[in-house]
Amino acid sequence: MLKTSSLKLLSKRIFYVQPLSTQVQPQERLQTFRTTEDNPLNHTSEHIGQFYKLSPDAKKQLFLHGGLPKSFEVQIKTFTESCLMIRQPSIDIINCMKVINYTNPVVRFVLYSKKGNGKTLSMAHVIHYAFEAGFLVVHVPWVGNWMRRCKEKSNSEFKPGNIDLNVDAAAWLMHFKHQNSHLINNSDFKTSQDYVWSKRETTLKDTPLVELIEHGINRIKFASQCIVALAEEIKKLSQEGKCKTLVAIDGFNGFFYPNTRILTEKKEVVHPGNVTLTEAFLNLSKCDWSNAVVVVTVDELAIAEKDQICCLPRYLLGKKGFEHMDPFVPVPVLAYSDKEFKSCMDYFRERRWVLPVSGQDEELQFLSGGNPYRLMQLCNSL
Amino acid sequence: MYNSVPLQQHALMSQYPSYYVKPVFKKDVQEEMIKSGEAQKLAHVPTRAALNDQTSSVYHDDIINVLINYVMKDGRKVLARELVEKTLEKIKRLQLERYHKATNIEDKNKIELNPRVIVHKAILNGKPLLQLSPIKRGGVKYQVPVPITDKRSQFLSMKWIIEAGNEKDRNTRFYDQLAVELIDAFNNTGRVVKRKQELHKQCEANRAYAHYRWS
Amino acid sequence: MSAITRLRGKTLNTIKNSTALISNRSFSEETEFRVLNLRTVKSQAPVRRKINKPDVLPPRSNQMPVDQDWGSVWPGQRTFHPATVPLPVRQGYTEKNAPPPSKFGNAELMKIPNFLHLTPPVIKKQCEALKQFCTPWPKGLETDEKCNKHFEIEVASSNYCYSSPSIRDPLARIVTLQIKLSSLPLDDHARDKFRRIVGDRYNEENDIVTIVADRCPLRQQNYDYAMYLLTAVFHESLRFEEWEKTKSEIDMEFYDWNVSKSKSSIESIFGKPAEEIVKADVYSKAVGALMNEGENEYTLAKYGESVREMLQLPAL
Repeated sequence: MLKTSSLKLLSKRIFYVQPLSTQVQPQERLQTFRTTEDNPLNHTSEHIGQFYKLSPDAKKQLFLHGGLPKSFEVQIKTFTESCLMIRQPSIDIINCMKVINYTNPVVRFVLYSKKGNGKTLSMAHVIHYAFEAGFLVVHVPWVGNWMRRCKEKSNSEFKPGNIDLNVDAAAWLMHFKHQNSHLINNSDFKTSQDYVWSKRETTLKDTPLVELIEHGINRIKFASQCIVALAEEIKKLSQEGKCKTLVAIDGFNGFFYPNTRILTEKKEVVHPGNVTLTEAFLNLSKCDWSNAVVVVTVDELAIAEKDQICCLPRYLLGKKGFEHMDPFVPVPVLAYSDKEFKSCMDYFRERRWVLPVSGQDEELQFLSGGNPYRLMQLCNSL
Repeated sequence: MYNSVPLQQHALMSQYPSYYVKPVFKKDVQEEMIKSGEAQKLAHVPTRAALNDQTSSVYHDDIINVLINYVMKDGRKVLARELVEKTLEKIKRLQLERYHKATNIEDKNKIELNPRVIVHKAILNGKPLLQLSPIKRGGVKYQVPVPITDKRSQFLSMKWIIEAGNEKDRNTRFYDQLAVELIDAFNNTGRVVKRKQELHKQCEANRAYAHYRWS
Repeated sequence: MSAITRLRGKTLNTIKNSTALISNRSFSEETEFRVLNLRTVKSQAPVRRKINKPDVLPPRSNQMPVDQDWGSVWPGQRTFHPATVPLPVRQGYTEKNAPPPSKFGNAELMKIPNFLHLTPPVIKKQCEALKQFCTPWPKGLETDEKCNKHFEIEVASSNYCYSSPSIRDPLARIVTLQIKLSSLPLDDHARDKFRRIVGDRYNEENDIVTIVADRCPLRQQNYDYAMYLLTAVFHESLRFEEWEKTKSEIDMEFYDWNVSKSKSSIESIFGKPAEEIVKADVYSKAVGALMNEGENEYTLAKYGESVREMLQLPAL
């Protein structure tokens, strides 16, 4: 009895086995969305919308200590390769970098856009270009890490009233050293003046720059001041023509937003101008030196949520920041164009991240509004 | 894209009178109806409003919507949907990892990458055929195996999967665990399938009581 | 206990009263015998007073010829009269979509002021009559523009009879003086200072300064005071005080590129004065627009273009 009833049920259930599309035949690699030109030195506006592969070695050297968004790192792991889309803003900056007269004072570029349009990745492309072109890269992965969630703070010994973020500063020195490990041992890179840290510790003139950095890393107490010195040294080296420099700062408006989350012992909010690190990087983004390029992003996420009203640079930088940066070249990072969107979806399909379904492109384009981050989130669950 | 299991909608507390018909919210179904002329019949029939999870998206999936509703606690649907979406993402990531690990093409082709297919198959694999129901005969309660409706068996399968997802240590996330359980159930292994088989075994053991259903 | 006794006393009283009533009635029955009237006889209805309505003539407007001289029918100001006005006017509120009440017995029409005595032919006639007392319009002031050009200052005051024991209207003393700011010979600094002194008396939209003088009891005094104010403000704004040199950027009412930090920074970049820098004028305009019009995609794009041109970078 029991068996018959269960058999009946079984036969009934067979109808519910659903004819779902299970396997996709491996397709031919579509070359329209991918370029074999992996060297950013050769990227031109013809490559716009195509993906190029960031080699694991370059990625490890440039972005080991941050610089790529976390969600993108997860994607890299899943896709087993790190591919960046070549987009208009980065190509635009690269083209400018190719024709700039480096004897003139530095040119400053400000990337701006709505949240999730790809400022950081455009900057990553520019950094990769600079790396390949032999620039010294001074890269701050995210200013918000200092101004909004610093690890530790202490009063500055060199400038009373200032605040040092020494742990973060030492971490940044590591990042800088790692990023420029191929250049930094150059024998030309020497300090131009004596630095007295304390009674017993000094860095004499003409010691290699590496030792200055090492000193900052080993003696965490002096890390912040070490960055100030390093910034000055880099400026001098560039000025003398010993190296070309790219200063890339993500979330630059964090340096001008008055309400940081750094508090003094009396629980007073510290103005970013009173943070030692700010001094160093504002010094680097001034236009009183040459043989360098400054690329910064202004981002709504670097300031408090209640003030995230507008994504345009004048608002985000504030009056002081605008005067500091003026004249700068504003570079908008727009939402995906139709071509870029198509290319991105093709890439996702090739990586098996999204399985092809008719009508999916139209739906996703409509839902995401061309915003790359939103598109990525939508595709996650498909 | 997918055939969907017809869902019963109970009209006990419905705000609509009984003569209201359910809406046709899928675009392709609508077009078919227009072609076959069925749409003309519906033109003047009062129709219910579509529910808020009934969309004409190409990714609309009844079973997953039901799963979302079962995951939901205290009416926090946004959270529940997020959890299920993250589960799907995790399934995809796990399967893709396996896919990239596989060396030859045959192995690669065997790996299912569509998380929705995995969820469907996992739920199907977790469905029990019978259940035990306590029946009192002569002052003694007997666990009597009884046949089970399809809806009840689908409910049990989903319930077991969700319960398995909740059985984890504090450091793992619900959606990660749920993804692992779903992949296990998809491969006909894991806690959910084991639970189903145990139930079947119990039913088999209690087959002698089967006649208590009637007498 | 005491409550019960009091109650008892009360009942006793009522019994006494009722017996007294009965005795009274028996007394009146003796005087008049009442007859039971089964068939009611109709008493004559009281004669109603007849209202004598005076004979009312039909409204005069029925007999009016079409080509009558209206000016002589309605020569002066007068409350509305339905029989005199030959117009089918209606006025007032009704419920339920009915048309408004007609003009007869309509208080609404009587309440509102009418200008039936000021019809165009009447005005024309009166103007003709007044013409002999007028001088000709001055030559060269035919149009409003010419008037404004030759007489920049416009002074206005009101003349009304006042309906109170005194016929002096207290508002008649108020003098309003208006002048276009552009008609005053002021330079940039003086114009800025003039605007700061007059404050919200200046209207940016039509460039008019309005001075209202009402503090003196007589119109003449107020007029003199308004003219004095205008003169004083004019001369004060022409003067340059020592403390005005401390005016900083925050005090500016608009962004002035020529004194801005933007100018000094490009001068330091190029190492020469701003006038000699190529394309600096385009850049200065773009910065000015960005600051004055506010930041938006358009002004920002213009700014970017101008910076690229100035720094000789390839255009986007």
